[in-house]
Amino acid sequence: MRYAYYPGCSLHSMETSYDRSVKAVCKHLGVELWEIPDWVCCGASSGHSMGHLVGLAIPAKSLVKAEKEGLDVLAPCAACWQRMVWVNHEINSSPEMKDKISRAIEEEINGTSKIFSIIDFLAAFGMDKLAQAVKKPLKGLKVASYYGCYYVKPPKVAHVDDPENPHLMDDMMKALGAEAVDWPFKTECCGASMIFQDVDTTVSMSKKIVEMAYKAGADVIVTACPVCEMNLDMRMEQINKKFKTNYKIPVVYFTELMAYAMGSVPQEIGLDSGHCTDTQLLLAKIS
Amino acid sequence: MSSMLNLSAQQREHGDFADRVFEESGVDVRKCYQCGKCSAGCSVHICGGMDVSPNRIMRMVQLGMEDEVLRTRTIWACVLCSTCTARCPRDIDIARVMDTIRIMAKKRGITEGFNNANVFHDIFMNSIIKYGRVYEAGLFVALKLKQSGTMFADLPIGIPAMISAAFRMPKLPPKMKNSDQVRKVVENCKKIEGEN
Ligand code: SF4
Ligand code: SF4
Repeated sequence: MRYAYYPGCSLHSMETSYDRSVKAVCKHLGVELWEIPDWVCCGASSGHSMGHLVGLAIPAKSLVKAEKEGLDVLAPCAACWQRMVWVNHEINSSPEMKDKISRAIEEEINGTSKIFSIIDFLAAFGMDKLAQAVKKPLKGLKVASYYGCYYVKPPKVAHVDDPENPHLMDDMMKALGAEAVDWPFKTECCGASMIFQDVDTTVSMSKKIVEMAYKAGADVIVTACPVCEMNLDMRMEQINKKFKTNYKIPVVYFTELMAYAMGSVPQEIGLDSGHCTDTQLLLAKIS
Repeated sequence: MSSMLNLSAQQREHGDFADRVFEESGVDVRKCYQCGKCSAGCSVHICGGMDVSPNRIMRMVQLGMEDEVLRTRTIWACVLCSTCTARCPRDIDIARVMDTIRIMAKKRGITEGFNNANVFHDIFMNSIIKYGRVYEAGLFVALKLKQSGTMFADLPIGIPAMISAAFRMPKLPPKMKNSDQVRKVVENCKKIEGEN
Protein backbone atom coordinates (compact mmCIF):
# COMPACT_ATOMS: atom_id res chain seq x y z
CA MET A 1 0.00 0.00 0.00
CA ARG A 2 1.46 3.31 -1.09
CA TYR A 3 0.06 6.75 -0.35
CA ALA A 4 1.18 10.30 -1.02
CA TYR A 5 1.95 12.03 2.26
CA TYR A 6 1.25 15.70 2.85
CA PRO A 7 2.65 16.57 6.28
CA GLY A 8 1.98 20.33 6.12
CA CYS A 9 3.86 23.03 8.00
CA SER A 10 2.87 22.16 11.57
CA LEU A 11 3.99 18.55 11.37
CA HIS A 12 7.23 19.67 9.86
CA SER A 13 8.06 22.22 12.51
CA MET A 14 6.46 22.32 15.93
CA GLU A 15 4.30 19.23 15.87
CA THR A 16 6.87 16.59 15.11
CA SER A 17 5.29 14.14 17.54
CA TYR A 18 2.32 14.03 15.19
CA ASP A 19 4.53 13.44 12.16
CA ARG A 20 6.61 10.80 13.89
CA SER A 21 3.66 8.93 15.35
CA VAL A 22 1.75 8.90 12.04
CA LYS A 23 4.79 7.46 10.32
CA ALA A 24 5.27 4.90 13.09
CA VAL A 25 1.65 3.73 12.88
CA CYS A 26 1.89 3.44 9.09
CA LYS A 27 5.02 1.34 9.50
CA HIS A 28 3.30 -0.96 11.98
CA LEU A 29 0.46 -1.40 9.48
CA GLY A 30 2.65 -1.86 6.42
CA VAL A 31 1.76 1.40 4.68
CA GLU A 32 4.37 3.06 2.52
CA LEU A 33 4.31 6.87 2.52
CA TRP A 34 5.64 8.92 -0.38
CA GLU A 35 6.15 12.48 0.83
CA ILE A 36 4.99 14.89 -1.88
CA PRO A 37 8.21 16.42 -3.15
CA ASP A 38 8.59 20.12 -2.51
CA TRP A 39 5.04 20.46 -1.13
CA VAL A 40 3.97 23.97 -0.16
CA CYS A 41 1.87 25.34 2.70
CA CYS A 42 -1.90 24.82 2.24
CA GLY A 43 -2.51 28.53 2.79
CA ALA A 44 -4.56 27.85 5.91
CA SER A 45 -7.18 30.42 6.89
CA SER A 46 -5.03 33.27 5.55
CA GLY A 47 -5.06 31.86 2.01
CA HIS A 48 -8.80 31.85 1.65
CA SER A 49 -9.11 35.20 3.37
CA MET A 50 -7.33 36.58 0.33
CA GLY A 51 -9.84 35.16 -2.12
CA HIS A 52 -11.68 31.94 -2.99
CA LEU A 53 -9.42 31.14 -5.91
CA VAL A 54 -6.17 31.70 -4.02
CA GLY A 55 -7.52 29.59 -1.16
CA LEU A 56 -8.06 26.69 -3.57
CA ALA A 57 -5.08 27.12 -5.87
CA ILE A 58 -2.42 27.06 -3.14
CA PRO A 59 -3.32 23.59 -1.79
CA ALA A 60 -3.92 22.42 -5.39
CA LYS A 61 -0.26 23.10 -6.11
CA SER A 62 0.77 20.21 -3.84
CA LEU A 63 -2.25 18.05 -4.58
CA VAL A 64 -1.58 17.93 -8.31
CA LYS A 65 1.80 16.29 -7.68
CA ALA A 66 0.12 13.34 -5.96
CA GLU A 67 -2.47 13.17 -8.71
CA LYS A 68 0.25 12.89 -11.35
CA GLU A 69 1.86 10.10 -9.38
CA GLY A 70 -1.51 8.34 -9.37
CA LEU A 71 -1.67 8.23 -5.60
CA ASP A 72 -4.31 8.99 -2.99
CA VAL A 73 -3.25 11.47 -0.34
CA LEU A 74 -2.91 11.18 3.40
CA ALA A 75 -3.06 14.61 5.09
CA PRO A 76 -2.99 14.22 8.90
CA CYS A 77 -3.46 17.91 9.74
CA ALA A 78 -7.22 18.41 9.86
CA ALA A 79 -6.92 21.97 8.56
CA CYS A 80 -4.70 21.05 5.59
CA TRP A 81 -6.94 18.06 4.91
CA GLN A 82 -10.01 20.26 4.72
CA ARG A 83 -8.32 22.76 2.40
CA MET A 84 -7.48 19.89 0.05
CA VAL A 85 -10.92 18.31 0.23
CA TRP A 86 -12.37 21.69 -0.76
CA VAL A 87 -10.18 21.71 -3.85
CA ASN A 88 -11.58 18.39 -5.03
CA HIS A 89 -15.10 19.43 -4.11
CA GLU A 90 -14.90 22.61 -6.17
CA ILE A 91 -13.16 20.94 -9.11
CA ASN A 92 -15.82 18.26 -9.25
CA SER A 93 -18.72 20.67 -8.99
CA SER A 94 -17.55 23.46 -11.29
CA PRO A 95 -15.70 22.99 -14.60
CA GLU A 96 -15.06 26.73 -14.59
CA MET A 97 -13.32 26.55 -11.22
CA LYS A 98 -11.36 23.51 -12.37
CA ASP A 99 -10.10 25.53 -15.30
CA LYS A 100 -9.21 28.53 -13.14
CA ILE A 101 -7.33 26.42 -10.61
CA SER A 102 -5.45 24.61 -13.37
CA ARG A 103 -4.39 27.91 -14.88
CA ALA A 104 -3.33 29.28 -11.50
CA ILE A 105 -1.06 26.29 -10.82
CA GLU A 106 0.00 26.02 -14.48
CA GLU A 107 -0.89 22.32 -14.55
CA GLU A 108 -4.08 20.45 -15.21
CA ILE A 109 -5.75 19.14 -12.09
CA ASN A 110 -8.66 16.69 -12.26
CA GLY A 111 -9.54 15.97 -8.66
CA THR A 112 -8.91 12.26 -9.02
CA SER A 113 -6.78 11.63 -5.93
CA LYS A 114 -8.78 10.76 -2.86
CA ILE A 115 -7.76 12.72 0.21
CA PHE A 116 -7.75 10.93 3.54
CA SER A 117 -7.62 12.42 6.97
CA ILE A 118 -5.69 10.25 9.36
CA ILE A 119 -8.90 9.33 11.18
CA ASP A 120 -10.78 7.88 8.22
CA PHE A 121 -7.57 6.44 6.82
CA LEU A 122 -6.85 4.36 9.91
CA ALA A 123 -10.47 3.57 10.69
CA ALA A 124 -10.78 2.07 7.19
CA PHE A 125 -8.46 -0.73 8.27
CA GLY A 126 -11.27 -1.96 10.48
CA MET A 127 -11.23 -2.13 14.26
CA ASP A 128 -10.40 -5.85 14.27
CA LYS A 129 -7.31 -5.34 12.19
CA LEU A 130 -6.14 -2.44 14.38
CA ALA A 131 -6.78 -4.49 17.52
CA GLN A 132 -4.72 -7.34 16.09
CA ALA A 133 -1.72 -5.05 15.68
CA VAL A 134 -1.77 -4.06 19.37
CA LYS A 135 1.12 -5.33 21.46
CA LYS A 136 0.63 -3.19 24.57
CA PRO A 137 -3.11 -2.70 25.23
CA LEU A 138 -4.00 0.62 26.87
CA LYS A 139 -5.91 -1.08 29.67
CA GLY A 140 -7.63 1.17 32.18
CA LEU A 141 -6.83 4.39 30.32
CA LYS A 142 -9.76 6.79 30.04
CA VAL A 143 -9.52 8.74 26.82
CA ALA A 144 -11.53 11.78 25.73
CA SER A 145 -11.44 11.90 21.93
CA TYR A 146 -11.52 15.48 20.76
CA TYR A 147 -12.32 15.83 17.06
CA GLY A 148 -12.54 19.61 16.72
CA CYS A 149 -14.31 21.21 13.78
CA TYR A 150 -12.39 20.85 10.57
CA TYR A 151 -12.58 17.10 10.47
CA VAL A 152 -16.38 16.90 10.73
CA LYS A 153 -17.68 20.21 9.40
CA PRO A 154 -19.10 21.37 7.09
CA PRO A 155 -20.76 18.02 6.40
CA LYS A 156 -21.02 18.92 2.70
CA VAL A 157 -17.29 18.33 2.26
CA ALA A 158 -16.22 16.59 5.47
CA HIS A 159 -18.66 13.73 5.46
CA VAL A 160 -16.73 10.79 6.86
CA ASP A 161 -18.06 10.84 10.40
CA ASP A 162 -21.13 12.15 12.21
CA PRO A 163 -20.77 15.96 12.39
CA GLU A 164 -22.37 16.26 15.82
CA ASN A 165 -21.35 13.01 17.46
CA PRO A 166 -18.35 11.51 15.67
CA HIS A 167 -17.16 8.14 16.90
CA LEU A 168 -14.32 6.82 14.75
CA MET A 169 -11.54 8.01 17.04
CA ASP A 170 -13.42 6.60 20.05
CA ASP A 171 -13.77 3.28 18.24
CA MET A 172 -10.05 3.21 17.57
CA MET A 173 -9.21 4.00 21.19
CA LYS A 174 -11.37 1.05 22.21
CA ALA A 175 -9.58 -1.14 19.67
CA LEU A 176 -6.34 -0.21 21.45
CA GLY A 177 -7.81 -1.46 24.72
CA ALA A 178 -8.57 1.96 26.21
CA GLU A 179 -11.86 3.21 27.57
CA ALA A 180 -13.53 5.95 25.51
CA VAL A 181 -15.25 8.45 27.80
CA ASP A 182 -18.54 9.80 26.62
CA TRP A 183 -18.50 13.58 26.67
CA PRO A 184 -20.37 16.39 24.95
CA PHE A 185 -17.59 18.63 23.61
CA LYS A 186 -16.08 16.34 20.97
CA THR A 187 -16.52 18.91 18.22
CA GLU A 188 -16.63 22.20 20.15
CA CYS A 189 -14.31 24.70 18.48
CA CYS A 190 -10.93 25.38 20.16
CA GLY A 191 -10.55 28.86 18.64
CA ALA A 192 -8.22 27.78 15.84
CA SER A 193 -6.00 30.54 14.44
CA MET A 194 -7.80 33.13 16.57
CA ILE A 195 -5.07 32.39 19.08
CA PHE A 196 -2.82 34.65 17.04
CA GLN A 197 -5.34 37.44 17.11
CA ASP A 198 -7.30 37.34 20.33
CA VAL A 199 -5.72 35.24 23.06
CA ASP A 200 -8.40 36.02 25.62
CA THR A 201 -11.31 34.65 23.61
CA THR A 202 -9.37 31.60 22.50
CA VAL A 203 -8.27 30.68 26.00
CA SER A 204 -11.91 30.86 27.12
CA MET A 205 -12.90 28.57 24.26
CA SER A 206 -10.17 26.06 25.07
CA LYS A 207 -11.04 26.12 28.75
CA LYS A 208 -14.59 24.91 28.10
CA ILE A 209 -13.20 21.86 26.37
CA VAL A 210 -10.59 20.99 28.97
CA GLU A 211 -13.09 21.48 31.77
CA MET A 212 -15.58 19.13 30.16
CA ALA A 213 -12.97 16.43 29.57
CA TYR A 214 -11.93 16.78 33.19
CA LYS A 215 -15.52 16.45 34.42
CA ALA A 216 -15.96 13.36 32.25
CA GLY A 217 -13.07 11.79 34.15
CA ALA A 218 -10.59 11.60 31.26
CA ASP A 219 -6.92 10.75 31.91
CA VAL A 220 -5.93 12.17 28.57
CA ILE A 221 -7.36 14.17 25.67
CA VAL A 222 -6.45 12.92 22.21
CA THR A 223 -6.70 15.01 19.06
CA ALA A 224 -6.10 14.65 15.34
CA CYS A 225 -5.45 18.33 14.61
CA PRO A 226 -2.29 20.34 15.29
CA VAL A 227 -4.29 23.51 15.87
CA CYS A 228 -6.47 21.82 18.50
CA GLU A 229 -3.41 20.28 20.10
CA MET A 230 -1.62 23.60 20.35
CA ASN A 231 -4.64 25.47 21.69
CA LEU A 232 -5.25 22.92 24.42
CA ASP A 233 -1.75 21.71 25.21
CA MET A 234 0.19 24.96 24.98
CA ARG A 235 -2.52 27.00 26.67
CA MET A 236 -3.22 24.74 29.66
CA GLU A 237 -1.06 26.88 31.91
CA GLN A 238 -2.76 30.05 30.75
CA ILE A 239 -6.18 28.48 31.28
CA ASN A 240 -5.24 27.59 34.84
CA LYS A 241 -3.95 31.07 35.47
CA LYS A 242 -6.92 32.89 34.02
CA PHE A 243 -9.59 30.71 35.61
CA LYS A 244 -7.70 29.77 38.78
CA THR A 245 -8.02 26.11 37.97
CA ASN A 246 -5.54 23.28 38.21
CA TYR A 247 -6.09 21.14 35.15
CA LYS A 248 -3.27 18.75 34.39
CA ILE A 249 -4.73 16.64 31.60
CA PRO A 250 -2.13 15.73 28.99
CA VAL A 251 -3.13 16.48 25.40
CA VAL A 252 -1.58 14.21 22.77
CA TYR A 253 -2.25 13.00 19.25
CA PHE A 254 -4.31 9.82 19.03
CA THR A 255 -1.66 8.41 16.74
CA GLU A 256 0.88 8.64 19.57
CA LEU A 257 -1.22 6.33 21.71
CA MET A 258 -1.78 4.05 18.74
CA ALA A 259 1.91 3.88 17.83
CA TYR A 260 2.73 3.20 21.47
CA ALA A 261 0.14 0.44 21.73
CA MET A 262 1.50 -1.11 18.54
CA GLY A 263 5.01 -1.28 19.95
CA SER A 264 6.77 2.09 19.50
CA VAL A 265 8.71 3.46 22.45
CA PRO A 266 7.68 6.93 23.71
CA GLN A 267 11.03 8.54 22.82
CA GLU A 268 10.66 7.50 19.21
CA ILE A 269 7.37 9.32 18.73
CA GLY A 270 7.74 12.27 21.12
CA LEU A 271 5.18 11.04 23.61
CA ASP A 272 7.71 11.69 26.38
CA SER A 273 8.80 15.21 25.44
CA GLY A 274 6.75 16.63 22.58
CA HIS A 275 4.14 18.37 24.71
CA CYS A 276 3.74 21.23 27.15
CA THR A 277 1.42 19.27 29.39
CA ASP A 278 3.10 16.62 31.48
CA THR A 279 2.81 13.16 29.95
CA GLN A 280 4.69 11.34 32.73
CA LEU A 281 1.57 10.31 34.61
CA LEU A 282 0.07 9.08 31.38
CA LEU A 283 3.17 7.06 30.60
CA ALA A 284 3.19 5.60 34.08
CA LYS A 285 -0.41 4.56 33.63
CA ILE A 286 0.07 2.77 30.35
CA SER A 287 3.48 1.18 30.90
CA MET B 1 -23.09 51.12 14.15
CA SER B 2 -25.69 53.86 14.55
CA SER B 3 -28.73 52.86 16.53
CA MET B 4 -31.22 54.32 14.05
CA LEU B 5 -31.51 53.18 10.51
CA ASN B 6 -33.63 54.39 7.66
CA LEU B 7 -34.58 51.08 6.11
CA SER B 8 -36.04 52.54 2.94
CA ALA B 9 -32.89 54.51 2.21
CA GLN B 10 -30.81 51.48 3.08
CA GLN B 11 -32.72 49.31 0.65
CA ARG B 12 -32.57 51.94 -2.07
CA GLU B 13 -28.82 52.34 -1.82
CA HIS B 14 -27.62 48.90 -0.84
CA GLY B 15 -30.56 46.64 -1.65
CA ASP B 16 -28.40 44.55 -3.91
CA PHE B 17 -25.91 43.64 -1.16
CA ALA B 18 -27.54 40.24 -0.57
CA ASP B 19 -27.42 39.62 -4.32
CA ARG B 20 -23.73 40.41 -4.51
CA VAL B 21 -23.03 38.17 -1.53
CA PHE B 22 -24.96 35.47 -3.37
CA GLU B 23 -22.94 35.99 -6.55
CA GLU B 24 -19.64 35.75 -4.71
CA SER B 25 -20.52 32.89 -2.38
CA GLY B 26 -23.36 30.98 -4.01
CA VAL B 27 -25.22 31.28 -0.70
CA ASP B 28 -28.66 32.89 -0.50
CA VAL B 29 -28.82 34.79 2.76
CA ARG B 30 -32.40 35.83 2.04
CA LYS B 31 -33.52 32.37 3.16
CA CYS B 32 -32.51 33.10 6.76
CA TYR B 33 -35.51 33.32 9.11
CA GLN B 34 -33.56 34.45 12.16
CA CYS B 35 -33.96 31.39 14.33
CA GLY B 36 -30.63 32.17 15.97
CA LYS B 37 -29.30 28.62 15.89
CA CYS B 38 -26.06 29.72 14.25
CA SER B 39 -25.29 32.13 17.07
CA ALA B 40 -26.34 29.69 19.77
CA GLY B 41 -23.65 27.25 18.70
CA CYS B 42 -20.92 29.71 17.77
CA SER B 43 -18.15 29.26 20.28
CA VAL B 44 -16.32 32.43 19.26
CA HIS B 45 -19.48 34.45 19.83
CA ILE B 46 -20.26 32.75 23.15
CA CYS B 47 -16.75 33.46 24.42
CA GLY B 48 -16.99 37.15 23.58
CA GLY B 49 -14.88 37.26 20.44
CA MET B 50 -17.46 38.94 18.19
CA ASP B 51 -19.15 42.32 18.27
CA VAL B 52 -22.23 41.24 16.31
CA SER B 53 -23.72 37.75 16.51
CA PRO B 54 -23.74 35.61 13.32
CA ASN B 55 -27.53 35.66 12.94
CA ARG B 56 -27.49 39.46 13.12
CA ILE B 57 -24.88 39.55 10.37
CA MET B 58 -27.30 37.53 8.21
CA ARG B 59 -30.10 40.00 8.97
CA MET B 60 -27.87 42.97 8.23
CA VAL B 61 -26.97 41.46 4.86
CA GLN B 62 -30.67 41.05 4.10
CA LEU B 63 -31.26 44.69 5.01
CA GLY B 64 -28.42 45.88 2.84
CA MET B 65 -26.33 47.22 5.74
CA GLU B 66 -23.17 46.80 3.74
CA ASP B 67 -20.93 49.42 5.34
CA GLU B 68 -21.87 48.30 8.83
CA VAL B 69 -21.28 44.60 8.10
CA LEU B 70 -17.92 45.23 6.48
CA ARG B 71 -16.82 47.11 9.57
CA THR B 72 -17.70 44.42 12.10
CA ARG B 73 -15.16 42.47 14.06
CA THR B 74 -17.27 39.36 13.52
CA ILE B 75 -16.35 38.83 9.86
CA TRP B 76 -12.69 38.58 10.92
CA ALA B 77 -13.22 36.74 14.18
CA CYS B 78 -15.12 33.89 12.51
CA VAL B 79 -12.75 30.90 12.41
CA LEU B 80 -14.80 29.03 9.80
CA CYS B 81 -15.43 26.10 12.11
CA SER B 82 -18.71 25.66 10.17
CA THR B 83 -20.70 24.60 13.23
CA CYS B 84 -23.33 27.15 12.20
CA THR B 85 -23.39 25.81 8.64
CA ALA B 86 -23.86 22.24 9.83
CA ARG B 87 -26.82 23.26 11.99
CA CYS B 88 -28.71 25.90 9.98
CA PRO B 89 -32.27 24.66 9.35
CA ARG B 90 -32.37 26.76 6.15
CA ASP B 91 -29.25 25.16 4.77
CA ILE B 92 -27.32 28.43 4.67
CA ASP B 93 -23.54 28.13 4.57
CA ILE B 94 -22.94 30.91 7.09
CA ALA B 95 -19.21 30.23 7.28
CA ARG B 96 -18.92 30.73 3.56
CA VAL B 97 -20.79 34.01 3.84
CA MET B 98 -18.40 35.22 6.55
CA ASP B 99 -15.44 34.25 4.38
CA THR B 100 -16.94 36.03 1.37
CA ILE B 101 -17.67 39.23 3.27
CA ARG B 102 -14.18 39.23 4.74
CA ILE B 103 -12.74 39.02 1.23
CA MET B 104 -15.01 41.90 0.17
CA ALA B 105 -13.79 43.99 3.11
CA LYS B 106 -10.18 43.14 2.41
CA LYS B 107 -10.55 44.10 -1.26
CA ARG B 108 -11.92 47.47 -0.23
CA GLY B 109 -9.20 47.93 2.35
CA ILE B 110 -11.65 47.95 5.26
CA THR B 111 -9.90 46.15 8.08
CA GLU B 112 -10.61 48.29 11.11
CA GLY B 113 -13.18 45.82 12.46
CA PHE B 114 -10.33 43.66 13.71
CA ASN B 115 -7.03 44.83 12.38
CA ASN B 116 -5.00 42.29 14.36
CA ALA B 117 -6.59 39.53 12.32
CA ASN B 118 -5.82 41.31 9.08
CA VAL B 119 -2.21 41.84 10.14
CA PHE B 120 -1.89 38.17 11.02
CA HIS B 121 -3.21 37.06 7.62
CA ASP B 122 -0.88 39.45 5.79
CA ILE B 123 2.19 38.31 7.68
CA PHE B 124 1.24 34.67 7.24
CA MET B 125 0.80 35.11 3.49
CA ASN B 126 4.06 37.02 3.18
CA SER B 127 5.81 34.20 4.98
CA ILE B 128 4.55 31.50 2.61
CA ILE B 129 4.99 33.66 -0.48
CA LYS B 130 8.60 34.12 0.53
CA TYR B 131 9.46 30.65 1.83
CA GLY B 132 6.80 28.35 0.37
CA ARG B 133 6.04 27.10 3.86
CA VAL B 134 5.32 28.74 7.18
CA TYR B 135 8.41 29.90 8.97
CA GLU B 136 7.07 30.09 12.52
CA ALA B 137 9.99 31.79 14.23
CA GLY B 138 9.90 34.58 11.64
CA LEU B 139 6.12 34.74 11.84
CA PHE B 140 6.12 35.19 15.61
CA VAL B 141 8.75 37.91 15.56
CA ALA B 142 6.95 39.83 12.81
CA LEU B 143 3.63 39.44 14.59
CA LYS B 144 5.03 40.63 17.88
CA LEU B 145 6.49 43.71 16.27
CA LYS B 146 3.32 44.63 14.43
CA GLN B 147 0.76 43.78 17.05
CA SER B 148 2.72 44.75 20.15
CA GLY B 149 0.90 46.71 22.77
CA THR B 150 -2.44 45.25 21.83
CA MET B 151 -3.59 41.66 22.16
CA PHE B 152 -0.07 40.51 22.03
CA ALA B 153 0.78 42.03 25.34
CA ASP B 154 -0.07 38.56 26.61
CA LEU B 155 1.74 36.59 23.98
CA PRO B 156 4.08 35.10 26.58
CA ILE B 157 2.33 31.84 27.10
CA GLY B 158 3.76 30.79 30.41
CA ILE B 159 7.38 29.87 30.91
CA PRO B 160 7.27 26.07 30.37
CA ALA B 161 5.06 26.44 27.31
CA MET B 162 7.35 29.09 25.92
CA ILE B 163 10.48 27.03 26.46
CA SER B 164 8.79 24.06 24.87
CA ALA B 165 7.60 26.16 21.92
CA ALA B 166 11.04 27.68 21.41
CA PHE B 167 12.56 24.23 21.63
CA ARG B 168 10.15 22.78 19.10
CA MET B 169 10.30 25.67 16.65
CA PRO B 170 12.90 25.41 13.89
CA LYS B 171 15.25 28.38 13.97
CA LEU B 172 15.87 28.53 10.23
CA PRO B 173 13.45 29.09 7.37
CA PRO B 174 12.23 25.89 5.70
CA LYS B 175 14.45 24.53 2.97
CA MET B 176 12.84 23.77 -0.37
CA LYS B 177 14.06 23.22 -3.89
CA ASN B 178 11.57 25.68 -5.28
CA SER B 179 10.32 28.09 -2.64
CA ASP B 180 8.81 30.33 -5.30
CA GLN B 181 5.72 28.20 -5.97
CA VAL B 182 3.24 30.06 -3.76
CA ARG B 183 4.32 33.45 -5.10
CA LYS B 184 3.61 32.32 -8.64
CA VAL B 185 0.24 30.83 -7.75
CA VAL B 186 -0.81 34.03 -5.97
CA GLU B 187 0.28 36.15 -8.94
CA ASN B 188 -1.57 33.93 -11.39
CA CYS B 189 -4.73 34.10 -9.27
CA LYS B 190 -4.59 37.89 -9.29
CA LYS B 191 -4.30 37.87 -13.08
CA ILE B 192 -7.16 35.40 -13.54
CA GLU B 193 -9.44 37.29 -11.15
CA GLY B 194 -8.55 40.56 -12.85
CA GLU B 195 -10.01 39.22 -16.08
CA ASN B 196 -13.50 39.10 -14.65
S1 SF4 C 1 -29.26 29.21 11.74
FE1 SF4 C 1 -29.66 29.76 9.58
S2 SF4 C 1 -31.83 30.42 9.56
FE2 SF4 C 1 -31.17 30.40 11.71
S3 SF4 C 1 -30.52 32.52 12.11
FE3 SF4 C 1 -28.69 31.37 11.50
S4 SF4 C 1 -28.54 31.66 9.29
FE4 SF4 C 1 -30.60 32.24 9.88
S1 SF4 D 1 -18.08 29.30 11.26
FE1 SF4 D 1 -17.78 31.31 12.19
S2 SF4 D 1 -19.84 32.07 12.63
FE2 SF4 D 1 -20.00 29.86 12.25
S3 SF4 D 1 -19.91 28.93 14.28
FE3 SF4 D 1 -17.83 28.93 13.46
S4 SF4 D 1 -16.90 30.84 14.18
FE4 SF4 D 1 -19.12 31.02 14.47
